[in-house]
Amino acid sequence: MSECRYTRARRVDEAVAALAEAKGDAHVIAGGIALGILMNEKLVSPTWLVDISRIEALKGIVRGPDGTLRIGALTTHREVEESPAVAAAQPMLPEMAAEIACGRIKNRGTFGGNLSLADPQGDPPVAVIALRATMRAAGPLGVRDIPATEFFRDLYTTALREGELLQEVLFPPLAPGAGTAYGKFAARRAMDYTSTVAVGVRAVVEPATGCIKDIGLGLGGVGPIPVWARATEAALRGMRPEPAVIDRACDVLVDEIEPLADHLYSADFKRHVATVILRRTLARACARAARGVEARR
Amino acid sequence: MSIEITLEVNGRTHRARVEPTTTLIEVLRETLGLTGTNKDCGMGICGVCTVLVNGRTASSCILLAVQADGERITTVEGLEQDGHLTPLQESFLRFGAVQCGYCTPGFLMTATALLAEKPRATRPEIVDALRGNICRCTGYKKIVEAVESVVARPS
Ligand SMILES: Cc1cc2nc3c(=O)[nH]c(=O)nc-3n(C[C@H](O)[C@H](O)[C@H](O)COP(=O)(O)OP(=O)(O)OC[C@H]3O[C@@H](n4cnc5c(N)ncnc54)[C@H](O)[C@@H]3O)c2cc1C
Repeated sequence: MSECRYTRARRVDEAVAALAEAKGDAHVIAGGIALGILMNEKLVSPTWLVDISRIEALKGIVRGPDGTLRIGALTTHREVEESPAVAAAQPMLPEMAAEIACGRIKNRGTFGGNLSLADPQGDPPVAVIALRATMRAAGPLGVRDIPATEFFRDLYTTALREGELLQEVLFPPLAPGAGTAYGKFAARRAMDYTSTVAVGVRAVVEPATGCIKDIGLGLGGVGPIPVWARATEAALRGMRPEPAVIDRACDVLVDEIEPLADHLYSADFKRHVATVILRRTLARACARAARGVEARR
Repeated sequence: MSIEITLEVNGRTHRARVEPTTTLIEVLRETLGLTGTNKDCGMGICGVCTVLVNGRTASSCILLAVQADGERITTVEGLEQDGHLTPLQESFLRFGAVQCGYCTPGFLMTATALLAEKPRATRPEIVDALRGNICRCTGYKKIVEAVESVVARPS
């Protein structure tokens, strides 16, 4: 077994300095779940671990005076699920977090670790895309912001540069008339993590006309990266969510995604499931928008 | 590089020297001889290695020991008090919620955490809490019933 170094960072700059010194040879660990699995599977034998799990500055949930919600990278899925501040500002997030695996994973897995891992099956990526969040990264040159829609670049690859940390995620306040919903297809949530399909919808509906003024659509499990469904959004924007419009949006979606077949389902089956989940989730988001549920919070 | 860590396991403080890549279950089973916690999938899926870290469930096979440094760990050996099984453990025996027994420690830890947090957990809450633990013998019915039978009823 090769020697492994260990750095327990207490501050962001300590972690950034260690990563700079390691020149790409270090693994950041937050919840440590993904790395634990890779080591057990003998896919990784790390030479330097930079443990960020005790950096206080990466913890916490804050709602700013302008309504922006900030979630620190180390926030666990369980905290996202249970936080009243999150539920009040972005009700899609607790709905999303409830769908993740099981209690054990939610206790330990972090929001930032999940997003940085960029697993195409991940749930948080779907939500940050639909909600148009901003990813704030800290690196040797300071802090920079990356739109969620540009964050996921390739299989398990994000826009974070070598030596950068994801520090926090910022969610702009929902517009008046917005409704959000999260839907997921999973035979057994806790175990079939490789074969799920998820859809996050943020719809802003104009009360007078019933038209979708603005929409955000994220999908998971339908390709090598979490998907920003731009073309499907365009097919719905400005339209009333009537059956013909939704049918057309589903046709667009089927062409926009490239699901991979796996040991349970074919690519075509996942395409179909994605349209079913889109229909249901869109209907829930629009119904919530109509009731003004989100706006009143 | 070996690192000294301190773990409070089942109420006793232990010091251990570990490698950064040593998992918590290795320390529990191999260093401390606490073999009640079983290991199986190594991927956080099956739930047999579940222990409590500060009262919350965690998969000890994918948790690095250095990340548990300073924390309070409870394993299945830590449940009984003064040689007496807990009502939950008794209930597992009474309901036949144990067959081969390999998954049992994980179920006990998961259900213990649930009952500590929600002493009046409903059946759907019990089923949901156990969704991440696999049993290949009992078919879950008896396990759910065993947990349900020790839920505190409003008096
Ligand atoms: C059985 C099982 C089922 C699961 N089911 C689901 C599910 O249904 N839905 C879902 O969304 N997820 C699921 N997950 C994933 C889980 O939710 C965790 O989010 C994930 O494992 C990573 O979180 P972590 O905090 O442990 O990250 P870590 O393992 O610590 O890190 C993951 C990766 O990100 C890097 N990293 C971590 N934090 C940062 C940071 N702040 N900045 C830069 N890089 C960073 C690490 O270097 C590593 O490469 C499942 C996991 C398991 C084991």
